[in-house]
Amino acid sequence: MTLKATARRNAIHAMLFYSGGCNGCDIEAVNALLSPRYDVEQYKVLWTWNPREADVLVVSGIIAWQMLEPLKKFYAIIPEPKAVVAIGSCPINGNVYKNMVGDIGVNEEIFAPLESIIPVDVKVPGCPPRPEDIIAGVVKALPKILEAP
Amino acid sequence: MSDQPKPANAENVVVEKELSFGPVHPALIEPYRIRLFVNDEIVEDCEINMNMVYRGVEKLLEGLPVERALLITEKVCGICSNVHAWNSVRVIEEGLKIDVPERANYIRTLTHEVQRITSHLIFFGHAFEVVGHETFAMRSFLLRETFMDILAYVGGNRVMPSVPIIGGIRPRADLTEGLKRAILERVDEFEKKYTEYVNRIVADPLVMSRLTGVGLLSKADAIKYHATGPTGRASGWDFDLRRDMKEYKSFDYNIIVLQDCDNKARVVQRALEIVESLKIIRQAVKNLPEGPVVNRSWIAGRMDFYTALLESYRGELMHSYALDGQGMIRSYKIRTPTPANLAAMEKACVGDHVTDAILTIASCDPCLACCTRAEVVESGRGRVMSDTEIIRKYGWRR
Ligand code: SF4
Repeated sequence: MTLKATARRNAIHAMLFYSGGCNGCDIEAVNALLSPRYDVEQYKVLWTWNPREADVLVVSGIIAWQMLEPLKKFYAIIPEPKAVVAIGSCPINGNVYKNMVGDIGVNEEIFAPLESIIPVDVKVPGCPPRPEDIIAGVVKALPKILEAP
Repeated sequence: MSDQPKPANAENVVVEKELSFGPVHPALIEPYRIRLFVNDEIVEDCEINMNMVYRGVEKLLEGLPVERALLITEKVCGICSNVHAWNSVRVIEEGLKIDVPERANYIRTLTHEVQRITSHLIFFGHAFEVVGHETFAMRSFLLRETFMDILAYVGGNRVMPSVPIIGGIRPRADLTEGLKRAILERVDEFEKKYTEYVNRIVADPLVMSRLTGVGLLSKADAIKYHATGPTGRASGWDFDLRRDMKEYKSFDYNIIVLQDCDNKARVVQRALEIVESLKIIRQAVKNLPEGPVVNRSWIAGRMDFYTALLESYRGELMHSYALDGQGMIRSYKIRTPTPANLAAMEKACVGDHVTDAILTIASCDPCLACCTRAEVVESGRGRVMSDTEIIRKYGWRR
């Protein structure tokens, strides 16, 4: 392991970005990252609300149009190297909100999938995924940050 | 605020009048925008803007077969998923007079009360996070896991248990003997830990001094601004829809009403409601009647506009729709409790120190995911039209 990776390994910060969706993933992520039972801090990942400090951006929810610009802005100010983890079916494919074959067909209010907006490294499917899966997703994103030049 | 008279020496004084934050901010877990108009650190006016996560749920539901609607209505909100699923099936059950077996009603009520407890414990987590007492917040998340486990046992998923369907409950959510025993054991274990937890909160002088006497919402204001649910009941307004619901007729519990009107009352209100929910859960498990859990002999046909009301965790929830000849949904309307509580939150902030404003808003327990919606403002008169007026003017297909 390089010196850089060793130094970085002790200061990984994850930030949650809620971009729509139903709150289910949001609370499971808070649970996973923060609560005593599922504890992501055992992998030396800390929780932050400051994008300038974050390394991993955890995105939940379909991307509503009011949240589109904030999302791009947040992604831009996270320093390199950075990784994006999409949690839940919502950012992966729009879930039930994208197209339920009702009268309006494809819903144009939402901007899922997330991949069409910013590059995504890890996808954690499920509605909502279990906190264990969210932790596994965040941990999978770590090598990208550690091994970056 | 702009129409206020300027002070005489307006050029020399720098007055910072507006404090606005959001949509993404550490103090707000969900995206919404708050504008506080302050004068010397005292909040004079508050404005909450909630239209951040518009998903178009009501529109998506238009023209779907009524059984498919459950897929979406359950995902309106992730904290109270069972409420939305239950109320959307109650509309057609009451509108078309579909019988629901008694055993199904008991299991629905059980899931409802289990989720009420998880929702109130999230409230504690959020409120104490804002107060700055991390330990209490962590403890409430830990306590909550008991009931997340029960939801996973019963429904198969921690957050979306999908228990109700039209005419009853899903057969997989039926309670077995072993499950009943497990629920009772976990509830007993929970009650012991929970009592200790609440005793420690009430005995903590720092937390209590931070909560007492702040964020006053008088009973008259609560009624005037249509505060609903625990927020209204903590201000002395005795209103609970569970009294009128036929599903709750066979249970013995109390409806808590407090008269203190402040943030402490709103925290204690929810703490006491959890105890009442535990009573209902125990009764539902112990007195569970035998019999089938789902009635499948119904046909979706034409149904007039019907409205069902349900006491959800934050207050009164309305779902209403009509069905056309093929059993397709027309004109779905959802009104969640939070828009009714928003005006009360804005009022409760006024007159307090600016640091208490977020606490006051959190103590009314906003859930913004499900409350984003469209409004029609009548041009010329500048008035928001009511639902019936909109339907009369624009018809079902808007
Ligand atoms: S994936 Fe499911 S639980 Fe997560 S935000 Fe979307 S609808 Fe809610």
